[in-house]
Amino acid sequence: MKDRTQIVHENFINRLKNNTMPETSGLVNIAHSGLSAEKLVELFESQVLSRQLDIYARKLQATGEGFYTIGSSGHEGLAGVAEALSLNDPAFLHYRDAAFFIQRSKQLSGQTPLWDMLQSFCASAKDPISGGRHKVLGSLALNIPPQTSTIASHLPKAVGTAFSIGLSRKIAHKANFDRKAIAVCSFGDASLNHSTAQGAINSAAWAGYRGAAMPILFICEDNGIGISTPTPHEWVKSNYQNNPHIKYFTCNGLNLLDSFKITHEAQNYVRREQKPAFLHFTCVRLYGHAGADAQQAYMSQADIEAREADDPLLHSANLLVKNNILSAGQALDIYGEIGFRVGASAKQAIKQPKLTTAAEVAASIIPPHKALSKQNTISAPSAQKRESSFGSDFKTMAQPQHMARLINWALHDLMLEQDHIILAGEDIGPKGGVYNVTAKLHKNFGGNRVINTLLDEQSILGLGIGLAQNNFLPIVEIQFLAYLHNAEDQLRGEAATLSYFSKGQYTNPMIIRIASLPYQRGFGGHFHNDNAIAVLRDIPGLIIACPSNGRDAVLMMREAVRLANEEQRIIAFLEPIALYMARDLHNEKDNGWTFDYPEPDSKDTIGLGEIHQHGTGTDLCIISYGNGYYLSRKAAKTLEEQHGVKLRVIDLRWLSPLNIQAAAKAAQDCQSILIVDECRETASLSEEIMTKLYEAISPAPIMKRITATDCFIPLGRAYASTLPSADSITQAALELTSTDTSTTQSGQTS
Amino acid sequence: MKKRALVIAPGRGTYNKPELGYLGRHHSDKNELIGEIDSFRAALGQTTISELDNRPAYSLKEHTRGDNASPLIYGCAYADFLSINRGKYDIVGVTGNSMGWYIALACAGALSFTSALTLINTMGGLMQDSLIGGQLIYPFIDENWQVKHDQKAELIGLIDEINAQQGAQLYISIMLGGMLVYGGNQNALSALKEKLPPLDDRFPLILPNHAAFHTPLQKPIAEQAQNIFNATMFQNPQTSLIDGRGHIWRPHACPAQDIFDYTLGHQVYEHYDFTSAVQVSVKEFAPDCLIILGPGTTLGGAVAQSLIEINWQDIGSKAEFSARQKADPYILAMGIDEQRSHVI
Repeated sequence: MKDRTQIVHENFINRLKNNTMPETSGLVNIAHSGLSAEKLVELFESQVLSRQLDIYARKLQATGEGFYTIGSSGHEGLAGVAEALSLNDPAFLHYRDAAFFIQRSKQLSGQTPLWDMLQSFCASAKDPISGGRHKVLGSLALNIPPQTSTIASHLPKAVGTAFSIGLSRKIAHKANFDRKAIAVCSFGDASLNHSTAQGAINSAAWAGYRGAAMPILFICEDNGIGISTPTPHEWVKSNYQNNPHIKYFTCNGLNLLDSFKITHEAQNYVRREQKPAFLHFTCVRLYGHAGADAQQAYMSQADIEAREADDPLLHSANLLVKNNILSAGQALDIYGEIGFRVGASAKQAIKQPKLTTAAEVAASIIPPHKALSKQNTISAPSAQKRESSFGSDFKTMAQPQHMARLINWALHDLMLEQDHIILAGEDIGPKGGVYNVTAKLHKNFGGNRVINTLLDEQSILGLGIGLAQNNFLPIVEIQFLAYLHNAEDQLRGEAATLSYFSKGQYTNPMIIRIASLPYQRGFGGHFHNDNAIAVLRDIPGLIIACPSNGRDAVLMMREAVRLANEEQRIIAFLEPIALYMARDLHNEKDNGWTFDYPEPDSKDTIGLGEIHQHGTGTDLCIISYGNGYYLSRKAAKTLEEQHGVKLRVIDLRWLSPLNIQAAAKAAQDCQSILIVDECRETASLSEEIMTKLYEAISPAPIMKRITATDCFIPLGRAYASTLPSADSITQAALELTSTDTSTTQSGQTS
Repeated sequence: MKKRALVIAPGRGTYNKPELGYLGRHHSDKNELIGEIDSFRAALGQTTISELDNRPAYSLKEHTRGDNASPLIYGCAYADFLSINRGKYDIVGVTGNSMGWYIALACAGALSFTSALTLINTMGGLMQDSLIGGQLIYPFIDENWQVKHDQKAELIGLIDEINAQQGAQLYISIMLGGMLVYGGNQNALSALKEKLPPLDDRFPLILPNHAAFHTPLQKPIAEQAQNIFNATMFQNPQTSLIDGRGHIWRPHACPAQDIFDYTLGHQVYEHYDFTSAVQVSVKEFAPDCLIILGPGTTLGGAVAQSLIEINWQDIGSKAEFSARQKADPYILAMGIDEQRSHVI
C-alpha cells in the first residue's frame, strides 16, 4: 500500500496537471482580501515549504536521520494567519504551525527557516532554537517562544504574556515585548479540551470582563480529529460562538484569502479593544497524527480521501490560477523547486553535529546570567519615602518579629526598590493573604503590582511565566502546597523547560511563594498541611528554598530575588505555615523564634546553598529544614540538658540543589547523624540526604532518619500524629547515640 | 547531472591592474553586449568600457573612479554570467556584494540588461560626483580565517567611540566575511585609522575612490536616485535573489515597488551584510557550488570566510577550505582562469 504522504504528493501534481482543483469556499477574489498577487504567491511558497519539510521529515526518519514526524500538512493556511499579524506579536504556537513560522520568518530579513527546521528534525546541535534538544517551533528574533504545546499547557503563559503587555504600559521596566503587541496562542481542536486550555481561556475572559487589558488572540486549529478521536461536529463552534466575553471569529483555513482577511479583522479587534478573541480556523489533517500513526485503523478510506481532496495547497493553487496570478504549471514549478531545495539542504542538515554527552544536553537547563543591559533598575528609596511607605510598621521594625511579618517587610522593601516586581496570587490583595504575609502591600503598591487573581493555580503560574517572559519579576503565591499539584506542570513542563528548549535564549525567572508543610494545630487537614515536595525536587534547574525562621526568610527572599534578576533562575520558596506566627522556641513567651529584621542595606546575606549550623557537639548531628529544624532545636535542648548529648543541628535552608558537600562537612566529625524530615517517608528529602551522605562520607557515621508516615494529614487533634515531634526526635536521637546502637536504621519512628 | 549553482556578483574594487584587458581576453564573443554599454556611455560623453579595458596601462585614478569602475565591472560580470555553461549548471539563486546587487538584479532578470546599465552607470556617476565620505577595511579573523569574536565586538564598539568625537560620522558599511568595512566621513576615518593597529602591512586599508557606501551619509544619493528612477523599471525576476540583508526575493513574489524601495533606499544607506547574504544563500538553497563572477579574485576570501563561520559543508578553517578547493572546488571564481575553466 502506498504511503499517504506519497498519495497526497501525487494528488497535488496530478490535479494541477489535469486542472481538477477543488472548489474553494469563502473569499476567492484576491481584490477583496487585502493581499497583493505577489503576497499570495509568497504565502503559497510558505505553504509549499511547510509541506515539503513534512515530506522530508518522514524521509529522514525512514533513513534514521530524522526524529520527528508530527507534521503541519493540512494546516498550511497558518501562513495567512501569520501574515495578518505583526512580527512583534509574541506567538505561542501549536506544533502543526510550521507554515506560520515560515511566513513570519519572511517578515525579518536574514532568516533561514528551511535550514533551521531541517536541523530541528535531525536534532542537530546547531538547531538555532533548541540546540538539538527537541523539535520545537521557536525563535528569539521572530518572537516565537518555544514549547512542545502537545497538551495545551502553553495557553496559561500566553494569557500571562497578554496581561504582561497591558501591564507594561503602566509600569516602567525593560519590556521584552512591544507594548502595542498582542499575544497569539494556537492549539488544536482536541487540545482545546484540556482543562489547562479551558482554564486559560476562562482566565482571559475573566480578566477582560474585569476590565484588565487582555490582548490575546486564541487560534483553534480545528482539523476535526485528535489523534484517533473525532471532534464532534461543530463542537468548537457551538462552544465558543456565543461566549459573551471572547469575540468569536471563524475562517476557512483551507483558503488563504479567507484566513488572512479574517485574522486581520480578529487581530484588529484584539489590538483595538484589548480584549480576547477566539479565531476558529477550520482545516484538515493530512496523513496520520505522526509518522507511526496508521489512520486507516480508525478512519474509513472515504474519510481519508475526502480530507486529502481538501488539501489546502490545492485550494491555494486554485486561488492563484483563478486570480490569474500563476498558471498551474508555474505553481507546480514552485512546488518542485522548493522540494528540490529541501532535499538538497537535508543532505547537509544530516551531517550537522549532534549532542552526545549528558553535559551537553543539560547545558541549557540553568539559564545564562542576564545581560546587564536587560536587567531592570534597582534603586533604594529615600529614608523618608521608606518610612512613609511603611507607616505604622516603621516604629516596630526595631523589635524582633515572627516570620510572616518579616517576609512581609522584606517584600515591601523589595517592591520599594524594584518597580518590576509584581505579586500575584489568591487573596493576596486587600486581605493580605490567608496568613497576612502580603498585608498592606496592595494598599501601598496598588492593584497593578499586587494582583488578586482568580482561583486557578494554573493561571497563576501561567501569569508568572508570562510576566517573567516580559521581563517583570513575578513573585506569585500558591495559597497552599496541596494546591500546587493541579498546576505543577506549569513549572515542570513549561517554566523549567523554557531555557532548556531555547538554549537559554528565552527565560522566565520568577519566585513562587508557597505556603507549605504541616503542623497547623488541627486546622485544615491534608489540603492545608501537605507534606510532600517531591513534585518540585525532581524538576531540573528549579531552586527550592525553605527558611525555618524569619531572619533567614528575609535574607533568602533577597537572595531569591537576586537569583531571578541576575541569574534568571526559578525559585520555589516554601514558607512553613506553622512557623509564620511562631514566636517561642522552648517556653511560652520566650520569644526564641522571633528575629530582628535585617535592614535592606544589611551586609548580612544567605547565599544559595548556604547552610546553618547550630552548636558544635560531635556526639550527634541532626540535619533538617523547616519545621523539622525548629523541632530539632527544641529536642536539642532536651538532649543536651537532660541527657548530656553534645550535638549540632543543621538547617539545610536550600533543598534543591542540595548542598550535600556543606552538609557532609558539617556532619563528618560527628559519631552519628539523625535526619529529621517532616515530609513523608517515601520520596522525602531524607532519602536523598541519606544516600548522598553515604556517598560523601567514608566511613559513614551511624545514620538514621525520622520522617512523617506515608499518610495524609488528618484534621483535628490528630493533626501531628503522623509527623516527627520534638519528643520523637529526642527519642530517635537517644537511640542513635546510646552505646549499644550500632546499626543504621531508617523509616519513620514517630 | 547538472550542478546547482549560486551566482555571486562582485562589487566595486574588483577591477584592478591584473584585470586590465579582461573583456578582451574573455569576451571577444560578446561585442554586441559590450557595444551596447559603449554606445550608452559614448552618448553621454563618457569613456567607453572597451577603451578603459583596452588601456595600455592600469590607472588607479581612472579605473577606480565610480563612474568608470561601476559600468566596467558590470560589463565584465554580466558577460561572465552569460558565459556560464548552462548545460553544466542550473542557477538556483543570485546574490552580490555591494554594487554587485545591481548586477545580481540584472542576472536574475529583475532588471533588464539596459535598465541595470542605466542604474549602474547613473549610481556610479552620482557617487563619484558627490564622493561623500570613504570606506576603510579591517579584518577580525585569525590566520585560520576563524572569527575572533572579541575583536569583532571591539571593532564594532569603536564606532560609538569615534562618533563621540565632534564631527565624526562612522558606520558599518559592509560585513564582508572576515572583514569589517567601515563607512564614514573623513574626520571619522582619520580618527579610526589612528585607533586601529597596523596589520599585515595592509590594514587599516582605506579604499581609494570609494564613498561611504551603505551608510546614512548616502541618503542624498538615494533621494536623487529615487527621483531619477521609478519602480516600473523592475520586472519579475526569473531566479531567486538574496540581498544585502539576507532577504530572499522570489520570482512571482517580488513586488516592483518593494524591490525598488530596497534597491534605492535601504541598500544605499544602510549597511550591506554580504556575510549574511552568502550564509542565507547556502542554507536555504544548498547549492552544489558557488560561482563568483569576475572580474577580480578578491571576493573569494570573503565568501570562504562566510562559509567558515557557519562551518558549511565541514569547511571550518582556511586549511579546510584550501583542501576542499583542491579536491572538489566549492567556490568557482571566474576571475581565476583555472576555476573559470570549470564554469564556461
